[in-house]
Amino acid sequence: MRFPYGPAALSMLILSILSGAWLALNPIPPKKATLVMWTFAKTHYDAYKQAIPSFEAKHPGVKVDLQLVSWQAVTSRLQAAFLSDLDVPDLVEVEISAAGSFFRGPLKDVGFRDLTDRIKQSGLYDRMVQARFAPYTSRGRIFGLPHDVHPVMIAYRRDIFDQLGIDVNKIQTWDDFIAVGRKVTIPGKRYMLELPDSESSRFEPLLYQRGGGLFDPQGNCTMDNEIAVQTMLFYVPLVAGPNRIASDLGGGQIFTRAVEDGYFLCMIAPDWRSKTIEVDVPKMRGKMALMPLPAVYPGGRRTSTWGGTMIGITKHCKYPDLAWELALHLYLNKDDLAQRFRDTNILPALKEAWDHPAYDEPRPYWSNQPIGRLYAKLAPDVPFQYTSPFVATAKGKLSEALVACVQYYKQNGDKGFEEFVRKRLKQSADEVRRLMRRNPY
Amino acid sequence: MATRPTDISLSPARAVPTSRWFVLQYKMAPYLFVSPFLILFAIFGAYPIVKSLILAFYVTNGPKSAVFVGLQNFIFLLSDDDFHKAVWNTAVFAFWSVFLQLPLSLGLALLLNSRWVRGRELLRLAFFSPNLLGQVFVGVLFSVLFIPQYGLVNRFLHFIAGVPLDTKWLANPNLVMPALVLTSLWMYVGFNMIYFLAALQAVDKDLYEAATVDGANAWHQFWAVTLPGIKPVAVFVLVMSTIGSFQLFELPWIMLNNSAGPDQAGLTIVMYLYQTGFVTGDLGYASTVGWTLALGVLIISLFQMRVTGAWKGGD
Repeated sequence: MRFPYGPAALSMLILSILSGAWLALNPIPPKKATLVMWTFAKTHYDAYKQAIPSFEAKHPGVKVDLQLVSWQAVTSRLQAAFLSDLDVPDLVEVEISAAGSFFRGPLKDVGFRDLTDRIKQSGLYDRMVQARFAPYTSRGRIFGLPHDVHPVMIAYRRDIFDQLGIDVNKIQTWDDFIAVGRKVTIPGKRYMLELPDSESSRFEPLLYQRGGGLFDPQGNCTMDNEIAVQTMLFYVPLVAGPNRIASDLGGGQIFTRAVEDGYFLCMIAPDWRSKTIEVDVPKMRGKMALMPLPAVYPGGRRTSTWGGTMIGITKHCKYPDLAWELALHLYLNKDDLAQRFRDTNILPALKEAWDHPAYDEPRPYWSNQPIGRLYAKLAPDVPFQYTSPFVATAKGKLSEALVACVQYYKQNGDKGFEEFVRKRLKQSADEVRRLMRRNPY
Repeated sequence: MATRPTDISLSPARAVPTSRWFVLQYKMAPYLFVSPFLILFAIFGAYPIVKSLILAFYVTNGPKSAVFVGLQNFIFLLSDDDFHKAVWNTAVFAFWSVFLQLPLSLGLALLLNSRWVRGRELLRLAFFSPNLLGQVFVGVLFSVLFIPQYGLVNRFLHFIAGVPLDTKWLANPNLVMPALVLTSLWMYVGFNMIYFLAALQAVDKDLYEAATVDGANAWHQFWAVTLPGIKPVAVFVLVMSTIGSFQLFELPWIMLNNSAGPDQAGLTIVMYLYQTGFVTGDLGYASTVGWTLALGVLIISLFQMRVTGAWKGGD
């Protein structure tokens, strides 16, 4: 018997039947996990993989499915998951710069559960560094538990400093730092500090150090206030003009080469970056050291903050109490946190965890400094960093203002610079405010 | 049950089937075969298109909140500096990509179509091969080539022209676009060359013989025979390159480290759409941007086809 529609149609039909039968016989196994958790950092993933079996042992029958999602993809995947109500995880770790975008719209429609009552009733609000709740708070409600503090220090080439006879103890303020920088900088060959002139990632910690920020606690855009203006007036001459002491080449291999070559003597280094430096520039073992950030004025704040992560529980989660217990298990276990510090150099937000001996261990890479204790001493002074759903836009606008100010300064120097900075920052802030006004909530 | 005779015949040698079931399935078979495509298109093509058109009239705030705002999104678009910047950047990229890419592709095709060039097959493969890589791979590759101080591009330019080693191609707003255009040329010149090669090989050889008999030199032959012969393909390449340029996203996104670059110098329309929809979370405004892009590309393509004579308004 011949198939009436020809061999092509017959092959399509056979393929359809075969593939359909295969799918029918091999159905996707139903998800057995009680809780699904996403994290974007490989270091967190590795640490949680070790911590989860003890949680599962404490809760017989509970299975946690931990998934590593790319940092670049986690925001868009989570937005899409919330939108479609499909594949929404129960717990998610979100990076600080993306967190604000999930707090858009009426509070009842935020995809994360409001953790304010749990955090305050459990006493965690006092046990953790309070400043670190700010980036995960919207309209007074807390949507995430902070993973870290990320105090900022300066990492420097101790061997070259020693050769040049620089005494870091005498560097107390930014004026001291700049004075040394002017002496040791050789344009095109060696710079005192690694700072970019084309984006604001290192500008922001310096803004926070002065008590400024992109937004105030009420979510109003403040990136053109007096603190921001003064920070810009301070920052731009560091990276542009005849007296510049800072430069930037980029990350990855080029950063490794630049540090090895002594192209940069100092780098702004929050705790997580101290690990990045260890991993990326292994040859500098024993030649690097850390010092506190110079203060803006004598006796002023010697640190800032850069980066961060929160863990949130989604409204999709069927077992919020269990999810909360898992979050506490991962974020409060002192021994696990100590081991995680050894692996990642990241200081946890839980203050009582810093008593662990792990934070006093000398680190050979950092010229045997006990870097945990150094960061822990600065941690209580970490500034507040407020957020808004428009934080990504604000960061972009701040970068635009920085580039414009750098270009102006390169062409005109000090002449009319302050007036230009005020005008340019206001322009950027007004653009953010204009976008915010479109928000009907 | 009575059966009705029909006039259906599959072949003269075979009996005419007359059952109602056969008539029904004979009529329904074409629809059955096209239905998988139609169903998938309805779900993944038509529905999103209609949904995005509706969304373009809403301000959305996160996943669950949407407020109807009529034409406000389109009005806001008219005064949105970021959108204007994205349009300008995309247009500049499209202009330089297309107007450098097409002559280079055609030149390469003419060269590699010549009998006098040795190793033509190998060269064709070599010039086409960049297109075998994805934009993401090429983006990573060129972001390494363009790094200051140690990058190959700066080393080469420093060696031949004394360009400073710390020239920041991807951190200087004035150099971002040239870097993107150079990268896209490396990627697409060879690809378009293949179209032109195929078109050149399809030009009737008798026309060249006739032109030679009439005393036309190589230049005259190019203008009078080659160009008219490859015109349909040239128009196709022009339109497709323009559309492709307006859809630019991955290359700058990767090269500029998941951002629009310094001073948004690498911000393209699709990147702005992505940022608005999936970073800021306003899918309504992102839909407005998307529909404006679609209309813009349609208008430009129709204009190109009209100017080149490829479309004569329904003739």
